[in-house]
Amino acid sequence: MSPNHHLDDATLLSYSAGALPAALAVVASAHLERCTTCRARLLDADQIGGVLMQQQRVDLPSEEARVAMLARLDVEPALEPPAPPVDVVAEADPDRLPSALHPWFGHSLRALRWRRVAPGVQRILARDISGGDLMLLRIAPGSKLPLHSHRGNELTMILDGAYDDMLGHFGPGDVADLDGETNHQPVTSPGVPCICVAATDAPLKFSGWVARTLQPLFGF
Amino acid sequence: SNAAPDALYWSAQMAAVSARRDRASFMRIYDHFAPRLQRYLRNLGVPESMADELVQEALLTLWRKAAMFDPARASLGTWLYRVARNLYIDHVRRQPHWLPIQDGLDRLDHAESARLDSQPESSVDQDILKQAIDRLPPVQAKLVRMCYLESKSHSEISAELDMPLGSVKSSLRRAFAKLQGSMRAPR
Ligand SMILES: [Zn+2]
Ligand SMILES: [Zn+2]
Repeated sequence: MSPNHHLDDATLLSYSAGALPAALAVVASAHLERCTTCRARLLDADQIGGVLMQQQRVDLPSEEARVAMLARLDVEPALEPPAPPVDVVAEADPDRLPSALHPWFGHSLRALRWRRVAPGVQRILARDISGGDLMLLRIAPGSKLPLHSHRGNELTMILDGAYDDMLGHFGPGDVADLDGETNHQPVTSPGVPCICVAATDAPLKFSGWVARTLQPLFGF
Repeated sequence: SNAAPDALYWSAQMAAVSARRDRASFMRIYDHFAPRLQRYLRNLGVPESMADELVQEALLTLWRKAAMFDPARASLGTWLYRVARNLYIDHVRRQPHWLPIQDGLDRLDHAESARLDSQPESSVDQDILKQAIDRLPPVQAKLVRMCYLESKSHSEISAELDMPLGSVKSSLRRAFAKLQGSMRAPR
């Protein structure tokens, strides 16, 4: 099933430009793995990069550089072996996390080791990521999160379960690509916990005293 | 310039590299693209010796993976841009695991275009896209260049231009919509 909520154009452009903070780029990659629509849009963005790269005014390469290049070909005689086929079966396995998350959280949803940070909320923080925060969140079914806005950019992808907010219904594969314009209060669907991967490039701002109490627990 | 070789020319050179390991064709590609990739990387702030090394690596990738190039999906310029951008993110920004993830996305695209009966939309006319970039309003053009040619994040652009984050993003969205419109326009 293909996702209904996609990456923002501005996010895609920065991803293509190699200018997206690392944590946001991980979540964007995870969505791209599951979304042919966004992969096609990314190719558009890459074409813009290709044109801008070629617009540079340049000189011809030096003879020295040409000789060095040709010498490298001599030690690279073999063709790249054909790429292994994509493991479509594994892709469809609901326990399998997207490849982009493997280095940070492992391969399996079931094998995750959660830490409770607030009633009904568990979290796993990615360690050693530069450029923002990256975390998995597991929120009990039927929970109402505190109303909050975003000071920087926040990119969230649903891995399992679902939630609703003013922007609509978000299920597996969907991304919420949010910034300071949005003030929202997600409510998780009944049934199974909502598991999502979230990246931010700046702390979240919660409104109200309840939220202020919760904020340290979320650690945003 | 008017004499710039077109997409057809470059796909013929790539076909020769892929089928016959043709060094003359490879060096035609090298002579045209290597200095442009080098300038692109230098603009991103990559030190000269590292930029030289990454350009060689990008062209070696082309040498090894020429058979993966599909002119119906993207022009050679776009393909090389992707390769250089990925090397930059891996080597310079040091985002771990970026290259295998991009390889995975590439393979998904290949599997998909092989599965589809119809060829995906052929790569856009570079001249039309170039003209559309030149026609962007000054602010949008500046933001697009800061993104692609200086690799600045939305927050960095917002701080540097003293422009609200929301405005940075909405300007980029409008620019992207215009450029996509030019790519889709009937020729
Ligand atoms: Zn998408
Ligand atoms: Zn939020």
